[in-house]
Formats: sequence, structure tokens, C-alpha cells
Amino acid sequence: MRVQNVRSIADYAEPQSPGWGTVGSTDVEMVPAPLGLQPNEYVQVSWEERPYGLLEQASLRAVHDGAKIAVHLSWADAQPSTGAGEGFPDGAALAFPVRGEPELMLMGSPDAPMQFVQWQASKKEARSVLAKGIGSSRPGEPVDETAKASWSGGLWTVVFTRSLAGSGESASLVPGSTSQIGIAVWNGSNEERAGIKAVSPDWTALSLDP
Amino acid sequence: MTSKRQVAMVIDLNKCIGCQTCTIACKTQWTNREGMEGMWWNTVATAPGEGTPKGWEKMGGGFRKGKAQPGKLPKQGEFGTAWNFNTDAALFQGDTHNTLGPITGDPDWGTNWDEDVGGGEYPNSFQFYIPRICNHCTKPACMEACPRGAIFKREEDGIVVINEDHCRGFRFCQEACPYKEIYYNTVSGVSQKCIMCAPRLEEGVPTACSRQCPGRVRFLGFLDDEDGPIHKLVYQYKVALALHPEYETEPNVFYIPPLAPPSFDDEGNPIDEDRIPLDYLESLFGKEVGPAVELLKAEKAKKKAGSDSDLMDTLIARNWMDMFGPFTTNPKDVARTLEQRVQNRQG
Repeated sequence: MRVQNVRSIADYAEPQSPGWGTVGSTDVEMVPAPLGLQPNEYVQVSWEERPYGLLEQASLRAVHDGAKIAVHLSWADAQPSTGAGEGFPDGAALAFPVRGEPELMLMGSPDAPMQFVQWQASKKEARSVLAKGIGSSRPGEPVDETAKASWSGGLWTVVFTRSLAGSGESASLVPGSTSQIGIAVWNGSNEERAGIKAVSPDWTALSLDP
Repeated sequence: MTSKRQVAMVIDLNKCIGCQTCTIACKTQWTNREGMEGMWWNTVATAPGEGTPKGWEKMGGGFRKGKAQPGKLPKQGEFGTAWNFNTDAALFQGDTHNTLGPITGDPDWGTNWDEDVGGGEYPNSFQFYIPRICNHCTKPACMEACPRGAIFKREEDGIVVINEDHCRGFRFCQEACPYKEIYYNTVSGVSQKCIMCAPRLEEGVPTACSRQCPGRVRFLGFLDDEDGPIHKLVYQYKVALALHPEYETEPNVFYIPPLAPPSFDDEGNPIDEDRIPLDYLESLFGKEVGPAVELLKAEKAKKKAGSDSDLMDTLIARNWMDMFGPFTTNPKDVARTLEQRVQNRQG
């Protein structure tokens, strides 16, 4: 997927920012995160007869301005869940490889970690998370991450922004080169949380314009 | 990780009067902060009954033949939410017609909602109280269910605790715990539960629920302490039994099963039939409860006849401090040393 270089991502900071109208979108296939890869027997047995991760595709757009990247992610969700009270929130995350070639489905490994930026409908702020394998996620290094979301007409749209530069254990994106992105989506009204989610089965290439 | 030692509790159901002092001792000590209004890390419910959360014994979880079993996520309404009362209007405004009652909604469940229901048919009705806390299981289903590894069993005393810095409020632990002893804090977004008063035990002070109990119901100590009452009641006399052992989590809270007066026949004469049906007790404590009840009855008869009974003497607990194993420090003394420590630090 091409990531255009734009004047300023401030013009793309909101889901409804007019700039997005001229940016081409890419549909990404989504599948349920495999039951066999859930981190423990309890999660496996409690979901083996419950459908989850039924989202079939998500739509992705992205631009950068040399300093930051903005990613516009949208997906269908008939019943939004803000996670108020004891409910579970809807959520989404964008994954980036930190180094090596992390397996997206395996949430990376100690040698090939991945970093993601996560949004939850219950929280105002986005979070940076570092993962070195399933069940290992811990707070990640900040990358000036933000997320702005809106739900309308059965569709969630979330605009994530983050700095292109990373350091140490956070992923770097370099203009003029190709990086990769992965997607996870949680449907809160179906009590989806942790590894119970829809995921893109493989990385999508991000070709950043110089 | 296997714990080196295990703190355990024995609760004598024959002495519990359902006064809820333990419940309040726990509430004021641990669950008086924001988001914890509806939490009761210690409950005393009436048996038979639905308990807290409502119908918890039918919510699944635990293990069967070693395999994790799915469980239901209990809702806050099933525990019972916190109510506010019209205390000012009812008690301080001089209106004798305004009676005390909840003013927030119309509550339909709460801890010990089953009070005064019980089982059996008059004149053979029966009931007893059953205090519950986290069982600090040897094989905690909650710990195995947490995808974050946020729950652990302390090596030094086997207490099961949740690391709130790692908990993300996923609540698989709530589902997996067959005793439904874990609560969700909607303000902080984390799961919380009984910590066996770990900070008190570390200072040699008994748990609040044990020490505050006016009925001397709760024994406390290390399971492997052969000189302590816990070891004696669990292993020597085998009269202290785990609740619902069929869940295979190996609880470390044990119960002395309740005895009851004999049943009456149609003429009102006492007959040789247990008031509390054995099959009901077996549904709670497993097949070992029959022999335990028989031994308790025999030792009670012995004591009544004037003979010695070490088992009855242990359960009577004339010397209060003998109930708590190594945890005999007066909390007042610890409070004093804590004060001194703070003063020393402040120089």
C-alpha cells in the first residue's frame, strides 16, 4: 500500500478530515485469531464453541509528512461498545515490526519484537505496546501516538498517528522505504478481549513515498 | 511455581452465627475505596441458598480431570450492587413514618440475600451460615486463565494475588474461578479479590476476618505446621474439608461441616435421622463429609459424657490465640511500630 507524502498530517488528524477523501484505500482480509494460538487452555476451552473475530475485512489508508504517519482504519461494527461499566470496549491496534521478521500471528518473538499502537473505545488516549510473543505484551516506548475514533452508520473509523522515527524497542518507519503493518480488531459487544480478536493474517506492505 | 509453604484457614460452621463481623472487618480494611463499593472479599451466606454471586455454584470454571472448564462471567447485579440509604431522612428528621431503606433503585440481590430462607420442611427445616473468601487454591484456575500472567501465588505463603499493574481487566479469571471470588473494579479497570490480609500476615497479625470473629470460628496457620490446629483438623482428624473439591483447584480454606438437631417424626418425636440431608452436605464437601460428621458427633458425645476429646477441645478454642498459628501479633502493636518507622524515616 502506498503511503503518500503530504504537507502536514494535521490535515488528516480526524476520521472526517477532508484530506482522506483523495487517499486511496486498501482492503485487508481479517480472520479470527486462531484458537490454538490462544495463550492458555482456559481461553481455548471457553471460546471453542463461541464465534469471534467474524470481521472479514478492514479498510486501510495512510499518509505521512516526513515526521509522522497517519493511518485511517475503518471496519464494520453494527453495535458499538464503549466498554462503559462492566462492558468490554471495542478496540483496534496497528502492529509494526521492530526488527527481524516477526510473525504477526505469533505477536513476534524475543529476537523479533513487534510494537503496536492500540486504541480502545473506553480510553481517551492511544497506547504504545511492545510484544515479544503471545501473552507477552507490555507498555512500549512512546512514539507520540494518538487515536481519534468515530462510529457512524455501522462503521468505526479510527485515525491513528505516530512518529515515523522509533528508537530502541519501537518500530521505525523511513520515508522512501517499505515497512509493514498488521491489524487487530476487538468486538467488545461480543466480549472480545486479549487474544480473542480479528487479525490480519499477514503483514501488509507500506511503501512510504520519499 | 510451587509455594514453599501454604497459609490455610479452617472455618467451623458449627460456631458461625452469621453476624457478618468478618464481612465488615474486611470491608473497612480493604474494599472501602472507589470502585469497590459492591465488593465483598468476605461474604457470609445462608445455606442452602443461591449465595453470592447469585447461583455461583452453577457458573462453571475450575477443572475436570485436569482440564480447564469454561465458566460464566458473573455480572455486578448478581453480586449485588452497593445501595445508598435514606439514613438522614429516616433517622434524623423526626418523621417516624419514613422507614429506613435503599434509595438507589430497587435492589433484587445482595450478599446473604438468602437470609432466613434455608431448606427442609417444618418442623425439619434447617439452615447454616457459610463464610467465604478466596480459597488461595493450590491449583488456582484464575492464575492459569490469565493471559497476562498477572496472577501469581506467593512463594513464601501460597497467597494468590493479582498484580494490578499487569491486569488489563480481561476477566478470564472471574470466569475460571469456580468459587466466583473475583470482582471487577469498573473505576480502575482491574480485577480484585481477597489477599488473605497479606500485609497483616507479614507482620504476624491474623487476617481481619479471623481476628474480628466473635465466635472464634476461623483457625489460621500454615498447612504444614504439625503443631498447629489447621494440620490437626485437616490431616489428623480429617474433619476440615474443602468446599466443592470436585473443581480440582485444591482450596486452602477448609470447613468443619455443620451438625444439626435430629429430625422429628409426624408425632413431633425426635428420630435418628439427620436434619441436614447427607446428600446436601456431600454436594458441598464431597464424600468425605459423612465420616467427618460421624467423627464430630462421636467426639461431641464423648465430651458431653465427661470424657476428654482433643478434637472438641481444639474446636472449642478456649485459648483464643491458639487459633492463629504463628499469627498472634496484636495489630495495635504493629500500628505503633509502623508509626515509629514512619517517624524514624522522617527523621
